[in-house]
Amino acid sequence: MTTILELLPGITLRCFADSCFKQGCLSFAMIRPMCAQEAALNALIPAVLLRGTRKCPDLRSITLRLDDLYGATLGTQVRRVGDYQTTGLYCAFLEDRYALPGDQILGPMVDFLREVLLEPVTEKGGFSEAFVDSEKRNLIATIESELNDKRAYAMGRMIRSMCRADSFGIPRLGDAESVAAITAQGAYAHFQKILRESRIDIFYVGSAPAEKVAQLLMPMLREIDRNYVNLPDQTAFHDDGGGDLVEEMDVAQGKLCMGYVTPVTNRDEDFVPMQVMNTVFGAGMTSKLFVNVREKHSLCYAIGSGYYGSKGIVTVSAGIDFDKEQQTREEIGRQLDAIRCGDITDEELTAAKEALLSSLRGTHDSPGSIEGYYATAALSGMKLTPAAYMEAVRGVTKADVARMAGLLQPHTTYFLKGVSQ
Amino acid sequence: MTKFEYPELGEVLYKDRLSNGLTVCVVPRPGFSRKLAYFVTDFGSIHTDFTLEGREYHVPGGIAHFLEHKMFDLPGNRDVSAELAALGAGTNAFTSYDMTAYYITCTEHFEEALGLLLEFVSTPYFTEESVAKEMGIIDQEIGMNEDAPDSRCFENLMQSMYRQHPIRIPILGTSETIRQITPDMLYACHRAFYTPGNMMLCVIGDVDPNRVAEIALEILGPEERPVGQKLRPWQEDMTVAGENSRMEMEVAMPMFNLAFKAEPTGKGAAAIRQEIVADLAAEALFGESSRLYLKLYEEGRIDSSFGGGFETIDGMAMLLCSGDSDDSEGVRREILTQAEQLCREGIGEADFLRMKRSAFGRRIRDLDSFDSTCFRLCAYELSDFDYFDFPGIYRSVEATEIREFLRRVVQQQRCAMSVINPLKEEN
Repeated sequence: MTTILELLPGITLRCFADSCFKQGCLSFAMIRPMCAQEAALNALIPAVLLRGTRKCPDLRSITLRLDDLYGATLGTQVRRVGDYQTTGLYCAFLEDRYALPGDQILGPMVDFLREVLLEPVTEKGGFSEAFVDSEKRNLIATIESELNDKRAYAMGRMIRSMCRADSFGIPRLGDAESVAAITAQGAYAHFQKILRESRIDIFYVGSAPAEKVAQLLMPMLREIDRNYVNLPDQTAFHDDGGGDLVEEMDVAQGKLCMGYVTPVTNRDEDFVPMQVMNTVFGAGMTSKLFVNVREKHSLCYAIGSGYYGSKGIVTVSAGIDFDKEQQTREEIGRQLDAIRCGDITDEELTAAKEALLSSLRGTHDSPGSIEGYYATAALSGMKLTPAAYMEAVRGVTKADVARMAGLLQPHTTYFLKGVSQ
Repeated sequence: MTKFEYPELGEVLYKDRLSNGLTVCVVPRPGFSRKLAYFVTDFGSIHTDFTLEGREYHVPGGIAHFLEHKMFDLPGNRDVSAELAALGAGTNAFTSYDMTAYYITCTEHFEEALGLLLEFVSTPYFTEESVAKEMGIIDQEIGMNEDAPDSRCFENLMQSMYRQHPIRIPILGTSETIRQITPDMLYACHRAFYTPGNMMLCVIGDVDPNRVAEIALEILGPEERPVGQKLRPWQEDMTVAGENSRMEMEVAMPMFNLAFKAEPTGKGAAAIRQEIVADLAAEALFGESSRLYLKLYEEGRIDSSFGGGFETIDGMAMLLCSGDSDDSEGVRREILTQAEQLCREGIGEADFLRMKRSAFGRRIRDLDSFDSTCFRLCAYELSDFDYFDFPGIYRSVEATEIREFLRRVVQQQRCAMSVINPLKEEN
């Protein structure tokens, strides 16, 4: 159902034809190798673009334009996909058939996207300084607000330490110091460079045929002065050693994070068994961690595990009382050992597989999730379609799951605890 | 099941009230693999005072949420989450101030999963031991909430605004209130409010509407049972209890919640019209297309975290906005000034039409979301309104209503603000 068109060298349009939805979506992503020198710049640029164009020179005129398009959304999209950082824009808009007779939305939406990308407000050979300054403040505030969600904050701290020699340790939006150092001229020059050199992935979900979408996009793409530079391949985890970290803060509840490394990435055959292992271990209300650590031992309210397939990293995070750290760690270790020994019930395996299957079946149920699956799979090197993925999930056995658990190596832990009295 | 069609929205709705009093809504979505069922009760954290069969009950704060947790226990050591998981169905629940919702989502085995949902929510099973154990888990959840600045900011605001309304008490209750909860109290709440006449079932997906009604009748039984009568003893006028609340926490930047008290909307089409008018008023006053938003954003006094709208909860309503700001006092001043100006000058016809078209388009787009549509159908149905009738209201709303709303509600004496500041540096 996905049509792939190479529109120009390094510029690909993927179209997923679907007329079930009342809205369509279109994403425009420039793909960059994740690196500390440009992560903050890449994160900042789309926000600056959305501040104004020559024709719509401020936020209000941009919003009014979107209001005219029946409340269309135009937002920034900055993702991490393995060793890549994507930066660009995401549009969501009502399908033409729901507009008043004679009104069109998709065509004007693409025109507006073109205007935002190619006609930004400029001065003195750079972006507008006022726009850049205020978006720098906003981006710094966003980066610092990670502190407000203690669970995300703790996980971020652990990942950064664990992956200090890997691109995965670079924060998705860069760090506050790099943002502060950006100038309006520097940002504009960098934008011109990434527009010229990056691989560009465009993804459309909606009822318009691929040829029509291509036809709408071509004038804009031809205006870009291109000199495409090949993107390096995804790489495995670069390990620089682990350790135990503890941090104190004025909080009511402790956060324990544990990181494991595995040799299995989403480009390997064992990717799907590892995903099932992670689900049995800690994803959802039937997982070993939830049922035992939370329900049976009441050690925590929230607990879960995650598998970052692009690097083969498995993490566990739990919200616990400060004095339960040792007990919780031991219990988590016991659950992992149980899986290693093949101590997995039929119900646990079925529930894990069904949860994965159910979420995969739902991939096609919203334009956003279609875009999310296909756009990131194309980049991460994960070759499975949802159908092939589901087939592989069904074939996973207990022995596979036990073998995968045996591949987990403890690497780094992080504990956020209250300030000592 | 009676079929209703909404060609303008491309929607069809089947609806019925069963002999046991349960309202059932089904929105067929041919071609979609996902199915979603919401089973909700018109009972939330604020409903702690009620009568049932001639007896008066006053139960501790946090009991609705506690009950939600305990509903997942079934007699005979059955694990309903595991049974649903074996069918490939996910399940979860949430408690709000005035509603509790349980839902399942699946792609296959829908009828079995629906049966389980109806069964576990209608089967109370509480023991001293299981209640005692749950206190540990909920206490952890309360602890987690205490570290969540967004919730703290809102809860502090409610205490500033209201003198008596039970919205002053957090949905989760407190460590003290949940300790008072007993199995008997849980049984009483279940008997009073988890009876079909006080509940509704809403399903979205490629399903047979008549089968949904049949399964509901089969599992819940055909009899109608008495429903608890909520007592609403609180008296609230339109002035706020106290103006400001301030607190320090581990946050990166100061954040605020600011609200204006509005008259409760009641039920039916008039209530929904009031809500749509208020939402449009919020958009005109401080939405992204407003002059005020542009000014505050360009001056760096708000950022993209800023937003707001109209909130209604049983017995109360408010115009609320929130965000991060170093100058929340200034934001409040500007909002009051801007409201005065809008009331003086009115909203131009072209601007008003554009605003309506935008809000209308976003509502239609939102219908793509199973979760949001299911939630809205339930919430509006409990307010005696068919959600899919919103286009008619948009067409008939006039700009003068927006002005009228702003004039009445955006007043200093109706306004309270809650601020969370970063902890002061220790020396």
